[in-house]
Amino acid sequence: MSAAAAALALAKEPRRTLAMRLADPAGTLAYLSLIFGLLLVSFPMAFPRMIIASWQNASLTPVMILLTVSLNLGLYLTVAHRRSAKPGIIAAACLGSAPVFVLAGLNFVLQATIAHTLAGTQPNALARVNEEILAHTYFALIAAIFGPFLLIRLGQQFKKTDS
Amino acid sequence: MLAFGIYALTADWTSAKWLLWIGLYLSFGLLAPWAMTRAWAHHHQSALQPRLSQIFQNGELGLVALMLAISVIWDLQKSQYTPYTVALGSVFLALIGIMAGWVWIESYGRRSIGIRFRPDRAWRDSRNLTFLVFSVAIVTEILLDRFAKVTAL
Repeated sequence: MSAAAAALALAKEPRRTLAMRLADPAGTLAYLSLIFGLLLVSFPMAFPRMIIASWQNASLTPVMILLTVSLNLGLYLTVAHRRSAKPGIIAAACLGSAPVFVLAGLNFVLQATIAHTLAGTQPNALARVNEEILAHTYFALIAAIFGPFLLIRLGQQFKKTDS
Repeated sequence: MLAFGIYALTADWTSAKWLLWIGLYLSFGLLAPWAMTRAWAHHHQSALQPRLSQIFQNGELGLVALMLAISVIWDLQKSQYTPYTVALGSVFLALIGIMAGWVWIESYGRRSIGIRFRPDRAWRDSRNLTFLVFSVAIVTEILLDRFAKVTAL
């Protein structure tokens, strides 16, 4: 009887909402960054060419949005499952929408970067543009994953101090 | 054809200066404090044999990461990337560097005013964020290496 009561009490105990820490996505993001670097070093011609080709086909940003949103949500749900905590609606909405805004905004910055490079009189303008696209893609990818988690963390900080 | 020639000159394993550079940070930021602690213990005939997680249990690793981030920001500022790319990379590196350093600040604050402090969590947080800073620093240096070769042509 007492065991059943305890089980009932446990079942009725509400699960607390997940409190994210920046260290949770940092490990995965670090591995993703290392994979990018490894691909860059192992395939110094093919990998950049692939990125530039997909940018020219206008498929780079949609692919990055898809990748970052699924990775963010996957990370969030994995941490929630590991800690047996309830995923928050606002946090999930932030993780789903913030990467889209970040990547769309940074796409405008990339256009400005390319215009700036081509407007100059520097030699190897085309090669410079390609390198700019490569660097921009890398920073945008990392920012679109880390940024939403940073927003969530800062939001949590306002709600409570002892997380 | 010209673009192909330019790419053939860009970063690969044979021009891995960034590897030496990151090795310096790893050895001076991580291994040197660990080895010096053991040497100090040996000198004082103590049985103290701390692990890395004990030496950096208050999140000090985050401060190492912050120094590394500053160094890469400096390299970015010196590069010939457009101001947009330099700003994007610098802001992002500064953000992750500050968040890594924040782990030490939070640990210090908690210990100072007596809020519950968990060294294992401080170590885990600073380790993960430092790993992120190291990883982003390596890739940024690879990108800088590539770009320097393109601009030198």
